[in-house]
Amino acid sequence: MIMNKRYLIGVFDDEHTLVDAFEKALEKGVVIEEVYTPYPIHEILTGMKNKTNITTAAFFFGLFAVIMLLGGMYWAAVVSWPLHFGGKPFNTFPSFIVVTIVATILTITILTLLTFSVRSKIYPGKKADIIDIRATDDKFIILLDQEKMGMGKPEITKLFQNQGATEVYEKDANTN
Amino acid sequence: MYKTSIRGKLIDGEKSLSQISQEILAPIDAKTPTWWYIALGISLAMFAFGVKSVYITLTQGIGTWGVNSTVAWGWEIINFVWWIGIGHAGTAFSIFLLILRQKWRTAINRAAEAMTVVAVFCAALFPLVHMGRPWLFFYIFPYPNTRGPLWVNFNSPLFWDFMAISAYLLISASFWYFGMVPDFATIRDTTKSKIKKAVYGFFAFGWTGSSREWLRYEGLAFVLGGIAAVLVVSVHSIVSTDFAVSVEPGWHTTLFPPYFVVGAIFSGFAMVLTLVTLMKKLYNMGDFITENHVDAVCRILVFISLIMGTAYITEIFIAWYSGSEYEMYTFFKNRITGPYVLEFWGMFIFNALMPQLFWSKKVRRNIWVVFVISLLINLGMWFERFNIVVTSLSKNYLPASWAEYHPTIIEIGFFIGTLGMFASGVLLFFRYIPQIAIAEVKMISKYNTQQTDHLKPGHHDYE
Repeated sequence: MIMNKRYLIGVFDDEHTLVDAFEKALEKGVVIEEVYTPYPIHEILTGMKNKTNITTAAFFFGLFAVIMLLGGMYWAAVVSWPLHFGGKPFNTFPSFIVVTIVATILTITILTLLTFSVRSKIYPGKKADIIDIRATDDKFIILLDQEKMGMGKPEITKLFQNQGATEVYEKDANTN
Repeated sequence: MYKTSIRGKLIDGEKSLSQISQEILAPIDAKTPTWWYIALGISLAMFAFGVKSVYITLTQGIGTWGVNSTVAWGWEIINFVWWIGIGHAGTAFSIFLLILRQKWRTAINRAAEAMTVVAVFCAALFPLVHMGRPWLFFYIFPYPNTRGPLWVNFNSPLFWDFMAISAYLLISASFWYFGMVPDFATIRDTTKSKIKKAVYGFFAFGWTGSSREWLRYEGLAFVLGGIAAVLVVSVHSIVSTDFAVSVEPGWHTTLFPPYFVVGAIFSGFAMVLTLVTLMKKLYNMGDFITENHVDAVCRILVFISLIMGTAYITEIFIAWYSGSEYEMYTFFKNRITGPYVLEFWGMFIFNALMPQLFWSKKVRRNIWVVFVISLLINLGMWFERFNIVVTSLSKNYLPASWAEYHPTIIEIGFFIGTLGMFASGVLLFFRYIPQIAIAEVKMISKYNTQQTDHLKPGHHDYE
């Protein structure tokens, strides 16, 4: 069951004030639930301490594809249906490489996209959990869960305002 | 330190982030202009001509084409290679310029990627119809089929080609699409129309711009970008093996893979230039696609054009140096002179000589001259493919089987049909999809100063 939570939301106008406020808040021990920005910001991505293993996953998808492709072609050309082409060997390995490269790339793409979709819970027609509708346009949003902010509401509000927040407000919402 | 004005501003005018969204989304929100309907009508008429030609081909057979048993590959293969070449620019733009940390790519990459997807679609039609019985095209899939467990020939360049093009189409389309997801979310959240909110909301995949999403998104872009770079190089190398693996004079050469890849990027960049000129002039995107962007593409074209010229001359030199009578004949009697001089010299002048005009800043800054040159480069690249396909085939080792090739109206119609399909695709893109990657342009808006210090060590903050 999804419970509605009460959130404190800080709205910033540009990247620099957001990053300053974000870093200052982290220093003071504030627990930040999530940050919404119109474009990726390196400091936020590292500061949030979230990790993604999507690149590692992609590597293993590739490894899997290479083994399956080379194994599959060897099996088809040598075991399943060997054909004589003017005395050439059945296992024409070097020329298998071409198909292996291209089909590996295709496999990595499809599986990585699927992984991305599953892990980020992003799929066609999904209803967005919008906290502040301006976050995809021109505002930078810091979201705090009021039950576990690590600091009192007035202090945080003051901190954000001192750092140049244009608005600080409260909102009930549910996010995943 | 040596400082020079390498590139001017990336965005003209001091724009706020929301202004960037508004201005890029303006064509989607505005009323559709009349010229758009007229242009779409013409494109669809051309497309209909193509559909009719393909219908005739399918019902009456390949005999309706001008190809014969000597010149078995005619306009269809020329057009196939030409479209694939154009389709190379999108990924080349996105990937190579990303790797080289060229921030100016952000204004152009969306259009280049869109063009790629449509061009590869056009390209894929040609081999499909050329099969003669395209409803049996699935025979080319490697599956244990009803003729016994007989597999496809894994050593055949035609099979490689099939794999390469399917992979390239899927990957360019997904790369393009995932770049658009944040922008669709911007439309969803800024539009006032309920229909647009619902439609773009569906395609925005529930994007919110949270740090978790951006983190994985960046990871995905890194993976797709990295492997697509390999793909760009391999796809056109594979297309070149369709020719190079044979023993026809003029085809059987190790120069082909790099020559094809570079040629593909050349024609693709020229087509990008054509498109961005239209975006600048028809949609007032001049603030985002500044003359500095056009300038940068022109400089790249000068460089690639020199490579093309070198490749053409190398081919001729090797034909002479090899001492092979057949090579000599093909290049000196059937290309430089002979019945196909127009195509050869058209190719040489449009691809190797004319882009040298871009050395002059005056030419690079005159958008209409740039536009005309970009069209002529594409014409030149078409001549190049004509040269490769037709001249080599028409006069092979056995003079008794020499033949001329002239396209029929059906073949011409098929080509015009794909031109119409491409134009309609581009028009729909202009109308319904953000022409410029909004999120990426916002990201670079903070660097919006004259870039004079990029030689400074440690300047790697573009991510």
